[in-house]
Amino acid sequence: MAVETPSSPVNGRPARAGRPALGRRMIKPVGHARERNDRRLGYLMVAPAIILLLIVTGYPLVYNVWNSFHNDNQTFATSPRNFNGVQNYNKVLTSSIWQSALERTLVFTVVSIVFDVVVGLSLALMMHRKFRGRGLLRASVLIPWAMPTVVSALLWKTMFDPRNGFVDYILGAFHAPWSNLVWIGQSVPRAWTAIFVADSWKNIPFVAIILLAGLQVIPNEVYEAAKMDGASWWQTFRRVTLPMLKPALSVAVIFRTLQALLVFDVVYIMTGGGPGTSTEVLSYLNFREFIIDTDYGIGGAMSIMLIVLALVVSFIYVRVFRPTRGA
Amino acid sequence: MKKSVRRTGAIALAAATVATAAACSSSSSPSGGAAAQSTSGQQVITFAISGLGAEGTYLEKQVDEFNSANPNIKVVVDTDSSNSTVFLSQVNNAFAAGASSPDLVESDVTYTAKWAAGGYLAPVSCPQSAFNAAMWSTGTFQGKQYSCPFFLNVEGLWYRKDLIKTPPTTPAQVVSDAQLAMKEDPKLKEGFAFEASQYEGEITSFMVLDKAFGGSLNNLANIDTPANVAALSYLHSLIYSSKVAPAAVTGYTEGQTGNDFDNGFAAFAINWPYVASGPFSNGVTAADIGYIPFPAASGGQPGVALGGSVLSINAKTSHIAAVNKLIAFLTSPAQQTARAIAVSDAPAVNAAYNATLFKASSLWQTVQSFAAQAAARPVSPYYLTVSADLQEMMSSAYASSSSSAPATAFKTYAPTVAQDANPAAS
Repeated sequence: MAVETPSSPVNGRPARAGRPALGRRMIKPVGHARERNDRRLGYLMVAPAIILLLIVTGYPLVYNVWNSFHNDNQTFATSPRNFNGVQNYNKVLTSSIWQSALERTLVFTVVSIVFDVVVGLSLALMMHRKFRGRGLLRASVLIPWAMPTVVSALLWKTMFDPRNGFVDYILGAFHAPWSNLVWIGQSVPRAWTAIFVADSWKNIPFVAIILLAGLQVIPNEVYEAAKMDGASWWQTFRRVTLPMLKPALSVAVIFRTLQALLVFDVVYIMTGGGPGTSTEVLSYLNFREFIIDTDYGIGGAMSIMLIVLALVVSFIYVRVFRPTRGA
Repeated sequence: MKKSVRRTGAIALAAATVATAAACSSSSSPSGGAAAQSTSGQQVITFAISGLGAEGTYLEKQVDEFNSANPNIKVVVDTDSSNSTVFLSQVNNAFAAGASSPDLVESDVTYTAKWAAGGYLAPVSCPQSAFNAAMWSTGTFQGKQYSCPFFLNVEGLWYRKDLIKTPPTTPAQVVSDAQLAMKEDPKLKEGFAFEASQYEGEITSFMVLDKAFGGSLNNLANIDTPANVAALSYLHSLIYSSKVAPAAVTGYTEGQTGNDFDNGFAAFAINWPYVASGPFSNGVTAADIGYIPFPAASGGQPGVALGGSVLSINAKTSHIAAVNKLIAFLTSPAQQTARAIAVSDAPAVNAAYNATLFKASSLWQTVQSFAAQAAARPVSPYYLTVSADLQEMMSSAYASSSSSAPATAFKTYAPTVAQDANPAAS
C-alpha cells in the first residue's frame, strides 16, 4: 500500500496539513468512523429543520400541484372535485386578466429592480466612504428594511393621503405643481408611483447593505494598483468595483427579483388592485382566486405558474451571474 | 459518552420540533379540534366572532351571562381577525377542512349564501316573523334559512342642520344645497363626502343612491340598466361636474367620511348611524346633524342601504340544540335592546325597538324607519367575486373625469358580473 503524503488527496479531499502521513494512515479507520458519525450527527441536527420545511412547505406545495390538476371550487358542495388534466392551466394562460397581471408584474419587477439597484448601489458607495456619522447612517438605513411591509405600506398610504398626507404637505410647501393630487384611487400612473415609492423605500436598504458587504471585501490593493495605473474614478468603478461586486450584485438582484415577482402586501394595502384592475399583480390575483373565489384548482394552477416563473428567472440569473473562469 | 449525548440531544431536538409542530397544528384557531364534551357532561361550544373593541367585549359579557344561566353549556368565544377578508379566510379554512369548530359563527351578511352553498352551514330554526325582513332575506338560500340576523345597520344621508335649514327633497337639491353651504361656510372642505375607495363600502354607498334612482343590483345577469348608470353618474358628477365632492373621496372609506362630517368639513355625508356618536369638533354638535334617506329621484324610492351581522351554525357541529339556545338568547328582544344601548348595534329583532330603546336615543326611531325600507346586497354564493367586480367597476369610473365613464364602466363590467354570478352558464 502506498504511503500517502500530506499533499496527496485522499478520497478526493486534500490532505490535512501539519499531520504526519503515517500517523494519518494508521488512524484512518478511526477517522472514517468518526467522519461517519459526524455526518450522521449532522443529518440529525438538520433533521428538525428539514421535517419542519417538509411540513410547512413541501406538503402544501405537493397538495397545490395536485389541486391544480383538479376541479376544486369550494363554493358549491355539489361541485365536482375530479381530475381535469391541464384545464386549469389552460384557463389561466388564456385569461386576459391573468395576462394583464403578468405584464404588470414583469414591468413592476424590471422597473423596481433597476431603480433599487441603482439607488442601492449609490447608497452603498456612499456608506463605504469614511465620514463622520457613518455608523449611524449604516444603522439607520436598515430601519425601513426591518419594518414589516404591511406597516410600511400603511404608513405610505397615510403619507400619500391627499388631505392629511406628508407627501402633499411637502409638495405644497415647495409650491410644486403636483400638490393637491389624489395619488391613490384616481390615477393609474400616480397609484403605481405610490406603490413604487413604498416598495423601494422598504427594499433599497436591503440592496444597499448587501452591496456594502460586497464592497467591503474588495481588497484595497486593487484600488491602489488602479490608482498607480492612472485610472479615473469612472474607470476604477467600471473595471474594478463592478466586476468584483458581481457576487454581491447577483445575490441582491436574485432576492429582489423574487420579492418583486411575488409582490402582494404593498399592493393589497395601498391600492387593493385599483383603480379598477390597474395595479392588480399576479399574487393579488392568486389571493383573490383562493380567498374570495375559493377556487383551489385555478388558484393552485396560478400559484404553480408563479413558482415556475420565479424558478425560471432564478435559473437565468444563476446562469448570467455564474462566475467566469479566472474571476 | 460524548457521542451518545450528542445523538440523544439531536434526537430530542428533532422530537421537540415535531411535537411543537404537531401542537401548533392542533391549536390553530379556528380550525382546531372539535368542540368537546367535558368530563362533567357539560357541552362546550365555540363561537367565532370578528368583533373587537367594545362590541367584542360586550359580546363576551353576553356569553358570560348565557354561561351562568346554562351550567350544562360552556360557550367559548373565539375572537378572530377584525379584518373581514382575513376573518372570512379563517372561517373558510376551518369549514373546508371539515372541522366541527367553530360551532357558531357571527359574520357579515354577505357570507351566508357562500357558506350555505358550500354545504358548511346547518339550517337555523329562529322565527322569521321576529326579524327585520330585509335582514332575514340575506340568510335565505335555495328556500332554506341558513342564518339568523344578529344586528343590522342602515346607511343613509347625513346633513348639517345648521347649514341646511330644510332637508333636501331631490338629488338635484342635495347638490345645490351643498354648493350653497360651501359658499357660506369657508370651513367646509367639501359639500358632499362619500365612500369611493375600492372596498365593500363603495358598494353600499352606491346602493343608497341606486335605490333613490330606482336601480337595483339584484339582477346580476344584467346590471347595465339606465337607473344603475344614473346612480353612478350622479356620484361621478359630484366629483367632476358639480365638484361638491373632492377627488380625494376616491380614497375615502366610511371612517374618513364620518370624520370629515363630524369635524365640520362636510355639509353632506353618506354614512352609517355611528356618525351620531361623534366625537365632534370645530363647533359641530350632535344637535347640528340630521339623518335622512337619500331623496328619491323620479322613479326611485328613498335611498337606504342595509348592512349588518348574522349568526350561522356549522353543519358539522354536534351541539345543535345548545347552539340554537345561544342564538335564541342573543336574539331575544331584551338582549338586543341592551346591546343597542351599550354598543350601538341596531337590533335585527323588531320587538327590540321599544320605549326603553327610544328613551336612550331618538336616533333609534330613525334607524327603525330606515330598516323597513333598506336595500340589501344581492344574495348569491358568488357575491364576494361579484363584489370585487363591482368595486373595480366603480373605481374605474371614479378614476376617469369623462362624464361617460360610469356608462362605459357598466357596459364593460356587466358581462363579467353576469359570468361571475353564474359561472356554470359560461
